[in-house]
Amino acid sequence: MELAKIEQLLEAYFEGNTTLQEEATLRSYFSSAEVAPHLQQYQLMFASFAKAQTESFTRDIVLPKEHKTTSRLWIGIAASLLVAVGVFGFFNQEPSLTAEEKEAIAAFEKTREAFKMMSQNFNEGAEELAYIQNFKETKNKILK
Amino acid sequence: MIEGSLTDPSLTIKKRVPLCWRIYMTQGEFLDTVLPFKDKLYRLARRILVSTDEAEDAVQEVYLKLWKNKRSIKNYKNPEAFAVTMTKNYCLDRLKSKQAGNLKIVHSNYAHSQNVAREIEANDGVALVFKIMETLPEQQKIVLQLRDVEQFEFAEIAKMLDNNETAIRVALSRARKTVREQLIQYNNYGIS
Repeated sequence: MELAKIEQLLEAYFEGNTTLQEEATLRSYFSSAEVAPHLQQYQLMFASFAKAQTESFTRDIVLPKEHKTTSRLWIGIAASLLVAVGVFGFFNQEPSLTAEEKEAIAAFEKTREAFKMMSQNFNEGAEELAYIQNFKETKNKILK
Repeated sequence: MIEGSLTDPSLTIKKRVPLCWRIYMTQGEFLDTVLPFKDKLYRLARRILVSTDEAEDAVQEVYLKLWKNKRSIKNYKNPEAFAVTMTKNYCLDRLKSKQAGNLKIVHSNYAHSQNVAREIEANDGVALVFKIMETLPEQQKIVLQLRDVEQFEFAEIAKMLDNNETAIRVALSRARKTVREQLIQYNNYGIS
Protein backbone atom coordinates (compact mmCIF):
# COMPACT_ATOMS: atom_id res chain seq x y z
CA MET A 1 0.00 0.00 0.00
CA GLU A 2 1.48 3.33 -1.08
CA LEU A 3 2.16 5.85 1.59
CA ALA A 4 0.19 8.62 -0.14
CA LYS A 5 -2.91 6.45 -0.08
CA ILE A 6 -2.47 5.75 3.63
CA GLU A 7 -2.01 9.43 4.40
CA GLN A 8 -5.15 10.21 2.44
CA LEU A 9 -7.12 7.52 4.26
CA LEU A 10 -5.82 8.74 7.59
CA GLU A 11 -7.03 12.25 6.87
CA ALA A 12 -10.47 10.94 5.94
CA TYR A 13 -10.38 8.78 9.06
CA PHE A 14 -10.05 11.76 11.36
CA GLU A 15 -12.92 13.45 9.57
CA GLY A 16 -15.12 10.41 10.14
CA ASN A 17 -15.34 9.77 6.43
CA THR A 18 -13.83 6.31 6.02
CA THR A 19 -15.72 3.11 5.33
CA LEU A 20 -15.23 -0.01 7.43
CA GLN A 21 -13.17 -1.46 4.61
CA GLU A 22 -10.86 1.56 4.51
CA GLU A 23 -10.49 1.41 8.25
CA ALA A 24 -9.51 -2.23 7.96
CA THR A 25 -6.82 -1.16 5.48
CA LEU A 26 -5.52 1.37 7.99
CA ARG A 27 -5.55 -1.20 10.78
CA SER A 28 -3.58 -3.72 8.77
CA TYR A 29 -1.10 -1.03 7.74
CA PHE A 30 -0.50 0.07 11.32
CA SER A 31 -0.22 -3.48 12.58
CA SER A 32 2.49 -4.19 9.99
CA ALA A 33 6.18 -3.78 10.73
CA GLU A 34 6.78 -1.12 8.09
CA VAL A 35 5.08 2.00 9.36
CA ALA A 36 6.57 5.24 8.06
CA PRO A 37 8.33 7.14 10.90
CA HIS A 38 6.08 10.21 10.72
CA LEU A 39 2.99 8.01 11.00
CA GLN A 40 4.21 6.00 13.97
CA GLN A 41 2.40 8.30 16.38
CA TYR A 42 -0.90 6.82 15.13
CA GLN A 43 0.21 3.27 15.64
CA LEU A 44 -0.65 3.33 19.33
CA MET A 45 -4.22 4.40 18.64
CA PHE A 46 -4.94 1.50 16.32
CA ALA A 47 -3.08 -0.93 18.54
CA SER A 48 -5.20 0.17 21.50
CA PHE A 49 -8.47 -0.32 19.63
CA ALA A 50 -7.35 -3.79 18.62
CA LYS A 51 -6.43 -4.52 22.23
CA ALA A 52 -9.78 -3.24 23.44
CA GLN A 53 -11.50 -5.74 21.17
CA THR A 54 -9.92 -8.67 22.97
CA GLU A 55 -11.59 -7.95 26.30
CA SER A 56 -14.28 -10.48 27.09
CA PHE A 57 -17.03 -11.10 29.58
CA THR A 58 -15.98 -14.02 31.73
CA ARG A 59 -18.70 -14.15 34.36
CA ASP A 60 -21.60 -16.58 33.98
CA ILE A 61 -24.92 -15.06 33.15
CA VAL A 62 -27.55 -16.03 35.70
CA LEU A 63 -31.10 -16.34 34.44
CA PRO A 64 -34.15 -17.31 36.48
CA LYS A 65 -35.07 -21.00 36.31
CA GLU A 66 -37.07 -21.64 33.20
CA HIS A 67 -39.86 -23.79 34.69
CA LYS A 68 -41.10 -20.83 36.64
CA THR A 69 -42.76 -19.42 33.57
CA THR A 70 -43.16 -22.33 31.17
CA SER A 71 -44.30 -25.08 33.49
CA ARG A 72 -46.72 -22.77 35.24
CA LEU A 73 -48.53 -22.51 31.94
CA TRP A 74 -48.65 -26.29 31.60
CA ILE A 75 -49.82 -26.74 35.16
CA GLY A 76 -52.58 -24.27 34.42
CA ILE A 77 -53.63 -26.10 31.28
CA ALA A 78 -53.53 -29.46 33.08
CA ALA A 79 -55.58 -28.13 36.00
CA SER A 80 -58.27 -26.64 33.79
CA LEU A 81 -58.44 -29.85 31.74
CA LEU A 82 -58.89 -31.84 34.92
CA VAL A 83 -61.72 -29.59 36.05
CA ALA A 84 -63.36 -29.80 32.63
CA VAL A 85 -63.16 -33.60 32.62
CA GLY A 86 -64.50 -33.70 36.16
CA VAL A 87 -67.49 -31.50 35.38
CA PHE A 88 -68.25 -33.44 32.19
CA GLY A 89 -68.04 -36.72 34.06
CA PHE A 90 -70.23 -35.47 36.88
CA PHE A 91 -73.10 -34.61 34.59
CA ASN A 92 -72.80 -37.76 32.52
CA GLN A 93 -72.33 -40.35 35.21
CA GLU A 94 -74.81 -43.24 35.62
CA PRO A 95 -76.33 -43.00 39.05
CA SER A 96 -74.62 -45.64 41.11
CA LEU A 97 -77.00 -47.81 43.11
CA THR A 98 -76.72 -49.96 46.16
CA ALA A 99 -77.77 -53.61 46.02
CA GLU A 100 -81.01 -52.82 47.86
CA GLU A 101 -81.96 -50.10 45.39
CA LYS A 102 -81.25 -52.46 42.51
CA GLU A 103 -83.50 -55.05 44.06
CA ALA A 104 -86.18 -52.47 44.52
CA ILE A 105 -85.96 -51.42 40.92
CA ALA A 106 -86.08 -55.05 39.78
CA ALA A 107 -89.13 -55.62 41.93
CA PHE A 108 -90.72 -52.49 40.52
CA GLU A 109 -90.09 -53.69 36.98
CA LYS A 110 -91.57 -57.07 37.74
CA THR A 111 -94.61 -55.54 39.37
CA ARG A 112 -95.09 -53.28 36.41
CA GLU A 113 -94.86 -56.23 34.09
CA ALA A 114 -97.41 -58.06 36.17
CA PHE A 115 -99.74 -55.07 36.15
CA LYS A 116 -99.30 -54.76 32.41
CA MET A 117 -100.23 -58.37 31.91
CA MET A 118 -103.19 -57.99 34.16
CA SER A 119 -104.44 -54.95 32.36
CA GLN A 120 -103.98 -56.72 29.07
CA ASN A 121 -106.02 -59.65 30.21
CA PHE A 122 -108.55 -57.31 31.64
CA ASN A 123 -108.80 -55.47 28.33
CA GLU A 124 -109.29 -58.76 26.52
CA GLY A 125 -112.03 -59.59 28.97
CA ALA A 126 -113.55 -56.20 28.40
CA GLU A 127 -113.59 -56.80 24.66
CA GLU A 128 -115.54 -59.99 25.25
CA LEU A 129 -118.05 -57.87 27.09
CA ALA A 130 -118.88 -56.18 23.78
CA TYR A 131 -121.01 -59.19 23.01
CA ILE A 132 -123.12 -58.34 25.99
CA GLN A 133 -123.85 -55.03 24.34
CA ASN A 134 -124.93 -56.92 21.16
CA PHE A 135 -126.99 -59.19 23.25
CA LYS A 136 -128.65 -56.19 24.86
CA GLU A 137 -129.44 -54.58 21.52
CA THR A 138 -130.92 -57.76 20.08
CA LYS A 139 -132.92 -58.25 23.23
CA ASN A 140 -134.34 -54.73 22.89
CA LYS A 141 -135.27 -55.36 19.25
CA ILE A 142 -137.14 -58.44 20.15
CA LEU A 143 -138.73 -57.24 23.32
CA LYS A 144 -139.24 -53.56 22.49
CA MET B 1 -21.06 -24.45 22.85
CA ILE B 2 -21.23 -22.91 19.39
CA GLU B 3 -19.18 -25.76 17.97
CA GLY B 4 -21.51 -28.22 19.61
CA SER B 5 -24.52 -26.68 17.98
CA LEU B 6 -22.82 -26.83 14.60
CA THR B 7 -21.92 -30.49 14.78
CA ASP B 8 -24.99 -31.78 16.58
CA PRO B 9 -27.65 -32.25 13.85
CA SER B 10 -30.56 -32.22 16.28
CA LEU B 11 -29.63 -28.76 17.44
CA THR B 12 -29.30 -27.29 13.96
CA ILE B 13 -32.66 -28.72 12.95
CA LYS B 14 -34.25 -27.30 16.06
CA LYS B 15 -32.93 -23.87 15.17
CA ARG B 16 -34.66 -23.93 11.81
CA VAL B 17 -38.13 -24.13 13.32
CA PRO B 18 -39.37 -20.53 13.13
CA LEU B 19 -39.64 -19.03 16.57
CA CYS B 20 -42.87 -17.26 15.75
CA TRP B 21 -44.65 -20.60 15.79
CA ARG B 22 -44.23 -20.88 19.49
CA ILE B 23 -45.28 -18.67 22.35
CA TYR B 24 -42.20 -19.30 24.42
CA MET B 25 -38.54 -19.23 23.58
CA THR B 26 -36.57 -21.80 25.52
CA GLN B 27 -33.63 -20.63 27.57
CA GLY B 28 -31.29 -22.44 25.19
CA GLU B 29 -32.66 -20.65 22.17
CA PHE B 30 -32.55 -17.38 24.02
CA LEU B 31 -28.90 -17.85 24.91
CA ASP B 32 -28.07 -18.90 21.35
CA THR B 33 -29.55 -15.60 20.19
CA VAL B 34 -28.05 -13.25 22.73
CA LEU B 35 -24.81 -14.80 24.00
CA PRO B 36 -22.75 -14.19 20.85
CA PHE B 37 -22.61 -10.48 21.60
CA LYS B 38 -22.02 -10.59 25.36
CA ASP B 39 -18.43 -9.41 24.96
CA LYS B 40 -19.47 -6.40 22.92
CA LEU B 41 -22.02 -5.43 25.55
CA TYR B 42 -19.45 -5.91 28.27
CA ARG B 43 -16.85 -3.74 26.52
CA LEU B 44 -19.39 -1.00 25.94
CA ALA B 45 -20.44 -1.12 29.59
CA ARG B 46 -16.80 -1.06 30.58
CA ARG B 47 -16.15 2.05 28.46
CA ILE B 48 -19.05 3.90 30.05
CA LEU B 49 -18.79 2.69 33.65
CA VAL B 50 -14.98 2.12 33.69
CA SER B 51 -15.14 -0.35 36.58
CA THR B 52 -15.01 -4.00 35.50
CA ASP B 53 -17.29 -5.06 38.36
CA GLU B 54 -19.94 -2.56 37.47
CA ALA B 55 -19.65 -3.42 33.80
CA GLU B 56 -20.21 -7.09 34.60
CA ASP B 57 -23.20 -6.24 36.77
CA ALA B 58 -24.59 -4.15 33.96
CA VAL B 59 -24.29 -6.97 31.43
CA GLN B 60 -25.97 -9.38 33.84
CA GLU B 61 -28.75 -6.87 34.39
CA VAL B 62 -29.22 -6.30 30.66
CA TYR B 63 -29.46 -10.05 30.05
CA LEU B 64 -32.09 -10.37 32.76
CA LYS B 65 -34.09 -7.62 31.11
CA LEU B 66 -33.69 -9.26 27.72
CA TRP B 67 -34.85 -12.57 29.20
CA LYS B 68 -37.94 -10.92 30.63
CA ASN B 69 -38.61 -9.44 27.19
CA LYS B 70 -37.86 -12.66 25.37
CA ARG B 71 -41.30 -12.73 23.82
CA SER B 72 -40.56 -9.51 21.98
CA ILE B 73 -36.91 -10.20 21.18
CA LYS B 74 -37.80 -12.49 18.29
CA ASN B 75 -39.72 -9.62 16.73
CA TYR B 76 -36.65 -7.47 16.52
CA LYS B 77 -34.83 -7.72 13.24
CA ASN B 78 -31.52 -7.14 14.98
CA PRO B 79 -31.38 -8.35 18.59
CA GLU B 80 -27.77 -7.25 18.81
CA ALA B 81 -28.54 -3.60 18.07
CA PHE B 82 -31.41 -3.79 20.52
CA ALA B 83 -29.15 -5.20 23.23
CA VAL B 84 -26.51 -2.53 22.57
CA THR B 85 -29.10 0.22 22.94
CA MET B 86 -30.33 -1.36 26.16
CA THR B 87 -26.80 -1.61 27.55
CA LYS B 88 -26.03 1.98 26.66
CA ASN B 89 -29.21 3.25 28.31
CA TYR B 90 -28.70 1.12 31.38
CA CYS B 91 -25.10 2.27 31.85
CA LEU B 92 -25.94 5.94 31.35
CA ASP B 93 -28.74 5.59 33.91
CA ARG B 94 -26.29 4.00 36.32
CA LEU B 95 -23.90 6.89 35.83
CA LYS B 96 -26.67 9.40 36.40
CA SER B 97 -27.89 7.79 39.60
CA LYS B 98 -24.33 7.51 40.82
CA GLN B 99 -23.74 11.19 40.24
CA ALA B 100 -27.11 12.08 41.77
CA GLY B 101 -26.23 10.17 44.94
CA ASN B 102 -23.81 11.50 47.51
CA LEU B 103 -20.87 9.90 45.82
CA LYS B 104 -19.28 13.18 44.85
CA ILE B 105 -16.53 13.03 47.41
CA VAL B 106 -15.73 9.47 46.50
CA HIS B 107 -15.74 10.48 42.87
CA SER B 108 -13.28 13.33 43.29
CA ASN B 109 -11.04 11.03 45.28
CA TYR B 110 -11.21 8.61 42.45
CA ALA B 111 -10.33 11.29 39.90
CA HIS B 112 -7.33 12.20 41.96
CA SER B 113 -6.05 8.67 42.20
CA GLN B 114 -6.73 8.33 38.49
CA ASN B 115 -4.09 10.95 37.77
CA VAL B 116 -1.62 9.04 39.86
CA ALA B 117 -2.51 5.89 37.97
CA ARG B 118 -1.97 7.75 34.75
CA GLU B 119 1.57 8.58 35.72
CA ILE B 120 2.31 5.08 36.89
CA GLU B 121 1.03 3.60 33.66
CA ALA B 122 2.90 6.14 31.57
CA ASN B 123 4.93 3.51 29.79
CA ASP B 124 1.86 1.48 28.93
CA GLY B 125 0.66 3.18 25.76
CA VAL B 126 -2.50 1.13 25.40
CA ALA B 127 -3.62 1.98 28.91
CA LEU B 128 -2.94 5.61 28.09
CA VAL B 129 -5.32 5.51 25.12
CA PHE B 130 -7.98 3.93 27.36
CA LYS B 131 -7.49 6.69 29.91
CA ILE B 132 -7.89 9.30 27.20
CA MET B 133 -11.06 7.56 26.03
CA GLU B 134 -12.41 7.78 29.58
CA THR B 135 -12.18 11.56 29.47
CA LEU B 136 -14.28 11.88 26.31
CA PRO B 137 -17.92 13.00 26.52
CA GLU B 138 -20.24 9.99 26.83
CA GLN B 139 -21.67 10.19 23.34
CA GLN B 140 -18.24 10.41 21.70
CA LYS B 141 -16.92 7.64 23.90
CA ILE B 142 -19.78 5.36 22.89
CA VAL B 143 -19.47 6.16 19.19
CA LEU B 144 -15.71 5.59 19.23
CA GLN B 145 -16.20 2.28 21.01
CA LEU B 146 -18.90 1.08 18.61
CA ARG B 147 -17.00 2.13 15.50
CA ASP B 148 -13.29 1.72 16.12
CA VAL B 149 -13.45 -1.21 18.51
CA GLU B 150 -16.59 -3.09 17.49
CA GLN B 151 -16.57 -1.96 13.86
CA PHE B 152 -20.28 -1.42 13.36
CA GLU B 153 -21.61 0.32 10.25
CA PHE B 154 -22.64 3.95 10.61
CA ALA B 155 -26.25 3.03 9.87
CA GLU B 156 -26.22 0.48 12.70
CA ILE B 157 -24.68 2.90 15.17
CA ALA B 158 -27.19 5.57 14.19
CA LYS B 159 -30.00 3.12 14.92
CA MET B 160 -28.49 1.97 18.21
CA LEU B 161 -28.05 5.51 19.46
CA ASP B 162 -31.28 6.78 17.92
CA ASN B 163 -29.46 9.48 16.00
CA ASN B 164 -28.65 10.28 12.37
CA GLU B 165 -25.51 9.20 10.56
CA THR B 166 -24.16 12.74 10.19
CA ALA B 167 -24.27 13.32 13.93
CA ILE B 168 -22.52 9.99 14.46
CA ARG B 169 -19.77 10.92 12.00
CA VAL B 170 -19.27 14.30 13.65
CA ALA B 171 -19.04 12.77 17.14
CA LEU B 172 -16.65 10.12 15.85
CA SER B 173 -14.43 12.67 14.13
CA ARG B 174 -14.24 14.73 17.33
CA ALA B 175 -13.44 11.68 19.41
CA ARG B 176 -10.69 10.50 17.08
CA LYS B 177 -9.16 13.98 16.91
CA THR B 178 -9.24 14.36 20.68
CA VAL B 179 -7.47 11.05 21.17
CA ARG B 180 -4.85 12.09 18.61
CA GLU B 181 -4.29 15.50 20.19
CA GLN B 182 -4.08 14.09 23.69
CA LEU B 183 -1.58 11.50 22.56
CA ILE B 184 0.58 14.14 20.87
CA GLN B 185 0.36 16.36 23.93
CA TYR B 186 1.31 13.49 26.16
CA ASN B 187 4.26 12.55 23.96
CA ASN B 188 5.50 16.13 24.00
CA TYR B 189 5.37 16.21 27.80
CA GLY B 190 7.09 12.88 27.89
CA ILE B 191 9.97 14.10 25.79
CA SER B 192 10.51 17.49 27.47
